[in-house]
Amino acid sequence: MTDKLKRFNWLMFAAMLALVALGTAAIYSAGNARSEAVFHAMWKSNLSTAAFGLAVYLTLAFFDYRRYLNLLAVPSYLFSLVLLVAVLLVGTSTYGGRRWLWFFQPSEVAKLCVIVALAWIYGAASARPWLRKFPGFLVASAVIGVPALLILLEPDLGTMLALLPATLVMLFVASVWRRGLLTAACVAAVAASALLAAVYEAERPGVTEARRAAIMKFMPLRPHQVKRVKTFLFPGEDPHAAGYTLRQAMISIGSGGFSGKGFRKGETNHLKYLPQSISMNDFIFCVYAEEAGFVGSVALLALFGALLVPCAWTAYVAADGRGRLVSIGVSTLVFAHVFINIAMSIGLVPITGLPLPFISAGRTFLVTAMAGFGIVQSVSIHGRDNGR
Amino acid sequence: MRDDTSIVSDLSVLGVGVVFVAGLVALGFRLAQVQLAEAAKHSYDGARQSVRRVLTAGPRGRIVARDGTVLADNRASVSIAVNPEGFQRRTWGDTVLAISNAVDEVSAAIGIPASLATNAIARHVRQRLARPLFVWRDVGDEAIARFSEHASEFPGFSCIETEERVYPEGRLAAHVLGYVGRREAEPAAGEKFNFRDKEMCGREGLEAFYDSYLRGSPGELKVTVDARGFAVEESVVVEARRGPDLRLSVDIAVQRAVERQLRGVRGACAVLDPRDGAVLALASAPAYDLNILVPHLAPEVNERLFRDSRNDYRNRACFETYAPGSTFKPVTALAELASGISPGACYECTGVFELGAMRLHCGRRWGHGPIDMRHALKESCNTYFSSFGCDIGTNALFSAARAMGLGAKTGIDFPQDSAGVVPSAEYKRSRYDLPWYASDLAHASIGQGQLLVTPLQMARLAGAIGTGFLARPRLRADSPVERTPLPFSARHLAVVRDGMRMVVDGGTGRLAGEGVAVAVAGKTGTAEVGIGATRRKNTWFIAYAPAERPTVAIAMVVENGESGGTTTAPKVNAVLKAIFGERETGNGNR
Repeated sequence: MTDKLKRFNWLMFAAMLALVALGTAAIYSAGNARSEAVFHAMWKSNLSTAAFGLAVYLTLAFFDYRRYLNLLAVPSYLFSLVLLVAVLLVGTSTYGGRRWLWFFQPSEVAKLCVIVALAWIYGAASARPWLRKFPGFLVASAVIGVPALLILLEPDLGTMLALLPATLVMLFVASVWRRGLLTAACVAAVAASALLAAVYEAERPGVTEARRAAIMKFMPLRPHQVKRVKTFLFPGEDPHAAGYTLRQAMISIGSGGFSGKGFRKGETNHLKYLPQSISMNDFIFCVYAEEAGFVGSVALLALFGALLVPCAWTAYVAADGRGRLVSIGVSTLVFAHVFINIAMSIGLVPITGLPLPFISAGRTFLVTAMAGFGIVQSVSIHGRDNGR
Repeated sequence: MRDDTSIVSDLSVLGVGVVFVAGLVALGFRLAQVQLAEAAKHSYDGARQSVRRVLTAGPRGRIVARDGTVLADNRASVSIAVNPEGFQRRTWGDTVLAISNAVDEVSAAIGIPASLATNAIARHVRQRLARPLFVWRDVGDEAIARFSEHASEFPGFSCIETEERVYPEGRLAAHVLGYVGRREAEPAAGEKFNFRDKEMCGREGLEAFYDSYLRGSPGELKVTVDARGFAVEESVVVEARRGPDLRLSVDIAVQRAVERQLRGVRGACAVLDPRDGAVLALASAPAYDLNILVPHLAPEVNERLFRDSRNDYRNRACFETYAPGSTFKPVTALAELASGISPGACYECTGVFELGAMRLHCGRRWGHGPIDMRHALKESCNTYFSSFGCDIGTNALFSAARAMGLGAKTGIDFPQDSAGVVPSAEYKRSRYDLPWYASDLAHASIGQGQLLVTPLQMARLAGAIGTGFLARPRLRADSPVERTPLPFSARHLAVVRDGMRMVVDGGTGRLAGEGVAVAVAGKTGTAEVGIGATRRKNTWFIAYAPAERPTVAIAMVVENGESGGTTTAPKVNAVLKAIFGERETGNGNR
């Protein structure tokens, strides 16, 4: 046991706990700004969820990941598929998406299950060589594609935007059909640029209605997504409708200044300019950055760095492929969340519904993320002795 | 590069770590841009959407008489207002409804009906959400006590103390003081405010003329509002300050004496200090109690005072114009003297002056017999002044009238300042489409015809005869003194002064001087106006005293009187007694 504690990555653990603490404070502030009393105690439920997550974390950390991955990877993956189907059938609708099953969101759980499944398949020491070629990519596409399709049906585009980069990085690290992946990445980049250019051309000031209609006919995005891209491209336009959220996000973050306005003193949040329905979730970074300022924002980024970089190191020193892949997968997934969430709050990418790990009030995702890092911690503890 | 036991690539793993760091650093740079470089802009945007500037009204300055007696003051006025932020509902309609219901409840509790339509609440919610809505203005102590008892039951309501105008002397100098209304406070040039509180603003009289002087300097309130516009908190940025007091030259004792004499009649009186133009009293009768106009002019009061019988309450002292009648004769005398008529020249008054078909009768039916200028003034001989008036011609007469300040505004610091009319051939043609006849001149010479003056002008004129110069009338104590010397020689003025002295000393105006402690000079006037059934007399008396060194000039007109000497002279006498005191023994100036 002392051996395990010696290998326990304390930096990663401490960074995670610190993030949970900051998140709880931000939830306290965001929740108290709301008029509905039910949200005032949200921070408490976040703490109890975190306590549960911590139990999961420690359990997963101190057991050898190789054993339980073998045991659980496939069943949990299949179970997550069942949950994704169930949520489509009997789930609860919120904000235009069918995402809730009883008290949790299956799509959050599914993300981790997909990563674990991929790690189990491609990290196996006995993996067949064909898995590294195009057929292997097809298998991966199926493993990712089925839950991805189910998640898109909810629809939950944001979750997909975080899951895809994580799985692609895993495949790349696993040397699965690298040439094809690089090509696909280039194609995706070109396609994204083309999409942006198309929206720009259709929505730029002074464009004729006929031209706009012609472009829109071939637009693969849905109207509300086009609107978000448009808001991203032209943030100044129409500050009361589509651009409102972004404008308020910029005001709250920017007006925080160097040292912030102080805990519970964020005006944009407390005066309810920041849309209340998202201030605790997707836009919690605004609440945090307004009250903690630039100093706090940098501290938060540093904490994420302290959490994620050790994951990459753990992956690097891990003796087996599954340990590496699961570390890379979990950390990339969380990194994607962090990057997209903060970047959309400061106008770097279009707005998408995506929580900020450990900070946003989302119980399913909190437990999922802590479970993921529990596995990474297990890799850190057990992964170096090669097979024992 | 590739590990044989696994298909995992090592360096790419480190590459992922580098990407993590690079991504977080990139976010850090962008955050530095937003939170450091652009912080001021975002703070400004934040403040602009969440801070409402409110211009608050400063209390209005008081108006005080010469001796400090307060004529217009402010009193505390308590209103009960509803604060919309106490009634936040999901929809605006529900908010309005909640306010409306609460208003009804409070109305029942304090026992005052609320005259507030749902529309008005809706409009307030739409336009002035961050400000309290006044429901019951200027409520009595009893209602406040009842409200305070139940205050805890009505969390969205509050008592707000403001100020209302009060006129402690009631109807005294009502026409002079004027009254106030309310309008939104004026911000300094270039300043923009979201809301402006209502402040008092002068509508009539001195309240109007010195409005900008009396007005307090406005303050500023900062109201923080939430995303829906409800007030969250407010703080004072600039304290509103009270406006300065306006000190008048009006002597409260003289004003009282004048108004006592005008009680029950229609008429007006102006009392000046001829040395510097200070208005000692300016009164118009009938008058009204100014306090009935506070806090606002009730429709029924408006009906009574200003619509049905508008003429009854208008300012007769300096707005209404009258024919001066015989009080014009000193002017005619000065014009005749200036045109070379000797004061000693004798005229044979037969009781009638004939000019072509016109017959102009003298006051004494059988004539005064041979009469000179001084006695013509003393006895108010019509034929004397008409005859010589026709001799000197229109120009000489009317340029003298203008030199005495008639036909022009007096320049008083008061919004109403009628010029009156000094007629001319052009005036008569344009007004009546008739040519100028010699008979017009004959009538004008004795103050009849188209000639029109205000009592204020006549008081100044009387004083000017006594002092030799015209002083601009002024109501504000410290306004500049303006004097215009008369273009008449001292010799000629002395003749007219003698004549006016004789008017009081045994002449037509002898009642004016009786018992007054100082010598009085004056002139009576009885102007006939209207014809047939509407024929009536407006009776005048103008005077200055003490005769040797005048400190007081007075003009009084009483409508529908008997004659200047019998109706108005005794009233002027009472005023002069109040000013100078009564002579203890003897029979006065006889």
